[in-house]
Amino acid sequence: MAERRDDAPDKAREEFFSEASELVDGFGRHLLALEESVENGHGPDPETLNDIFRGVHTLKGLSGLFGAATLSGLSHELENLLDDLRLGRIPLSTAVLDLLFDAVELYGRILSALKGEEAEPREEVLTLLASLAAVSNERSGNVAFIAEYELDPETLGVLTEYEEHRLRSNLQAGLALYRLKAKFPLATIDSALEELKLRVRPVGEIITYLPTGDGGDLDAIDLEILVASRSAAAELRQAVDSDAVSVDEVKKRDLSQARTPPAPRVGERTDDSAMDLPDGRETPSPPPVEDDEPAHASMHPAPHATEAVVMPAAAGGRDISLRSVSQTVRVDIRKLDRLMNALGELSLVRGALLRYAEKLRSEPGTRRLGMDLLGVHRAFERQLAQMQSGILEVRMVPLGQVFDKLARIVRQVSREQNKSVHFVVTGGETEIDKLIVEELSDPLLHMIRNAIDHGIEPIPERAAAGKPDTGTVALNAYQQGNHVVIEVEDDGRGIDPHAVLHKAVTMGLVSMEEAKSFSLEEAVSLVFMQGFSTRDTATAMSGRGIGMDIVKTRIAKLGGLVDIVSEVQIGTKITLTLPVTLAIVGVLTFVVEATVYCMPLSSMEEAVVFDSALVREVDGREVMTHRGVTLPVVRLARLFSEPPAPQRATKQFLIVARVGTRRLGMVVDRLIEQQDVVIKALGRTLAHVRGFAGATDLGDQRVALILDVPSLIEECLTAAEGRRANDASLAFRFGERS
Amino acid sequence: MEDSASTRSFIRAILEGVREGALAGCTVQEATSGFDAMRLLPRGPYDLVLTDINMPDINGLEVIQFVRKSPHHKDTPLVIISTQTSERDIARALALGATAYLRKPFVPEELVATLERVLAPKGGAAPHG
Amino acid sequence: MSALIHDGERSDHLVFLLAGELYAVALESIHEIVKVGPITRVPRARADILGVMGVRGRLVTVLDLRRSIQVQDAPIDARSRVLLLQVEEEDVGFLVEEVREVERFTPSQIEPASVLGGIERPYLRGVARRGPEMLVLIDLLPILPGREGSAPNVGGQGLSFSGPGAP
Repeated sequence: MAERRDDAPDKAREEFFSEASELVDGFGRHLLALEESVENGHGPDPETLNDIFRGVHTLKGLSGLFGAATLSGLSHELENLLDDLRLGRIPLSTAVLDLLFDAVELYGRILSALKGEEAEPREEVLTLLASLAAVSNERSGNVAFIAEYELDPETLGVLTEYEEHRLRSNLQAGLALYRLKAKFPLATIDSALEELKLRVRPVGEIITYLPTGDGGDLDAIDLEILVASRSAAAELRQAVDSDAVSVDEVKKRDLSQARTPPAPRVGERTDDSAMDLPDGRETPSPPPVEDDEPAHASMHPAPHATEAVVMPAAAGGRDISLRSVSQTVRVDIRKLDRLMNALGELSLVRGALLRYAEKLRSEPGTRRLGMDLLGVHRAFERQLAQMQSGILEVRMVPLGQVFDKLARIVRQVSREQNKSVHFVVTGGETEIDKLIVEELSDPLLHMIRNAIDHGIEPIPERAAAGKPDTGTVALNAYQQGNHVVIEVEDDGRGIDPHAVLHKAVTMGLVSMEEAKSFSLEEAVSLVFMQGFSTRDTATAMSGRGIGMDIVKTRIAKLGGLVDIVSEVQIGTKITLTLPVTLAIVGVLTFVVEATVYCMPLSSMEEAVVFDSALVREVDGREVMTHRGVTLPVVRLARLFSEPPAPQRATKQFLIVARVGTRRLGMVVDRLIEQQDVVIKALGRTLAHVRGFAGATDLGDQRVALILDVPSLIEECLTAAEGRRANDASLAFRFGERS
Repeated sequence: MEDSASTRSFIRAILEGVREGALAGCTVQEATSGFDAMRLLPRGPYDLVLTDINMPDINGLEVIQFVRKSPHHKDTPLVIISTQTSERDIARALALGATAYLRKPFVPEELVATLERVLAPKGGAAPHG
Repeated sequence: MSALIHDGERSDHLVFLLAGELYAVALESIHEIVKVGPITRVPRARADILGVMGVRGRLVTVLDLRRSIQVQDAPIDARSRVLLLQVEEEDVGFLVEEVREVERFTPSQIEPASVLGGIERPYLRGVARRGPEMLVLIDLLPILPGREGSAPNVGGQGLSFSGPGAP
């Protein structure tokens, strides 16, 4: 990897990618919500639309800053379209929704392109840009009559164009306008406001928050909140449910003629649409013609500062769930890995502490001191364990992150396949290690595609089987002890065990004799066998050269299990059982004689071709000069008494391992590759064996041992230094229970 | 203040990298939202305030009004950084007392030049007049 | 450690073959019986530890029961099985030559191990007669290293090893 300076622009670039992908994910999530509300016959939720708009707006700003022109250009056009949508200039049609979904897809690809992972989808972007522009041309106008309401110019002056639009359309729709007032302690304002929002949302829409007062108060802020609602003041008050918040209706200026206009349909104009926002500099226009009453003829003149009371500081247990996003932090997972590594080092320190404590205790003169030190060690150990579980907890993310992406895929695939699919998701809040989440998206994607492609039947076939036209694919997740279970279930045609057996035999995957010994359940599991495919020609969907065997291998690599149950005509359910957390390490896999081992990358400096001519013997140990420094060398085949391979390697390699300042060269026969593996702890039965930090499943059913470099270095160098060879090792084992 | 973390760190990186002129050695304090800004602003003297307009909850216009009403910050230079969404909103911002406006995207030199300009003493011998 | 043979009641035992002799363990102590998969040797482990094996995502330490109780070696073939035990959250497997059947013994059928004579072994539970056949009842837990009860006396190189250049 190239050397990177840890300077600010680099850091900013990393943050750019993580923020951009988060924004794109949010975009996709909001779109699904939007689609649902449109399908259910509700109009598009203005808040969701505005969230999307703001997200794209931010993305545009970001991409501009970081010189990502394509991203910026796409965002610009998209922003225009979204602006039209949220300002009600154009309706949200299915066609427009499709364009927006396309945009999410393209965003993802452009981001990958920026990271250099794929080529930029230039043509697709151009096509989308053209479609976006075409839609934007269909816009229509809008109307204003906010000035009829008793809002002081100062309030109106700080509304953004969007807020003004929301205010206008709510008033046009015949909603009443309320002014909520409260004093919020600045320290807890975020959670207090979140709570207020949750309460107000079911009955109304918050237009804006206006800080009042002069900022002289350092600890609290007076806030005016404009809310549009269909409910009466009393109902709103009840919803807000707080004595600390005052609720007053903002009346129309001309009370004698006050009649709420009948709610006009969207698109019906009650005024001249030519008045539609000219350019900038427009100040609130004078009230319309018939309204010649002066502003102060109202019953409730402007602010009721005296009514404002302090909002009680965040009350009780439930606010925990009401905490706003501002109380979360985004952390680069590599930072957590670094912390985890530091913890590993601390464990070495703990080991040393224990060794000294026991040494002291074993000598009569220092027995007392040794006991005290052991006590300190125990406290240290306890805290260390807490820190470790704390860090693991931070790595947990909700599965919903992947599930949202899958929902988009279901939508896309079912459209392409002309099938009607209802996608039901439960347990998106189930938490699992971030690294597992990342590894899960491909297998889940494949399973879902399979369910739609092979499982759910075309509509005529479903009708013939007496099933509803719309098929169901359910994705359920829940935690079960130390495992997370994810189920993908469909109500499709199921898997016929006899067909599977027949296929497996004709493909030569199993012999006729073996086939007879399989139970029907076992037969269904054959779909996980390498090279198995239930269709002769791979379809565009689940084909793509990977089958269920890949799913199984991937899940096994994560230390998980795959089970399948299927019933013909009823459906199929695939269950993944995964560990909640993983200890994942990057390793170099290599071969000694005929055995594969893993070397943690964090403990090695380099691997080079071994030149045995450079080795010389000093005091009975082998050393060589490597890069100008004397390096002790150990031949792993000899150290491990490895049974000789049938074929001798012609050349050997030297892996230079390092812990702290101590280095050791290890001679091996062949290097395989670098990969990330899941460490599994060796059981207590093997506690007497030193030199191995754990083992891992390399995915081919074969287990490989992972070297415990600190303990090997300690062992080899200490032995050479003439100390007792079985001196207590400083090895830190992953997952070892104390 | 700015609700996007990467924009914040980008701006911070630029500003803290300035080695000469009015901005040399400046310290940058980030506010993640309008409320955050309201927590910080009354507590100290600031030589300059930078804000976005499009933010959740409290918008940039409201922040400008708040800053201008505050006795500490009646005259503090206030610069809007925003993508051009609405000419109207920019006009409002300037009307409410924003000192200058900078469009995103900008190059570091533009940011530095704009900020140096607003920091130059009024009527003094400022390099840009 | 829980007593694997309940006095006063009949208990199910799994009967298996080791070097031509019949042995039996309490069925309730066995978690699962699996076929022998690829076993990765763990260098420098006790001699009766064959290595580690992956069983559906779990890591199992496999011991050769023949070596553990010092009967003669026999090759692994298609009839070989691994008896899986879960001991304190660890998965441990014992390789046996062939699994025969499940047999139910009443306490009266079981004689103390002392009838076998020789040195007392912590894993020997007794002897059961079935017609002309004699079955050796054993307890697998004391065979595991580092567990309660003394470890069986098996030759191994686990605790002594040589550094580089050492003879």
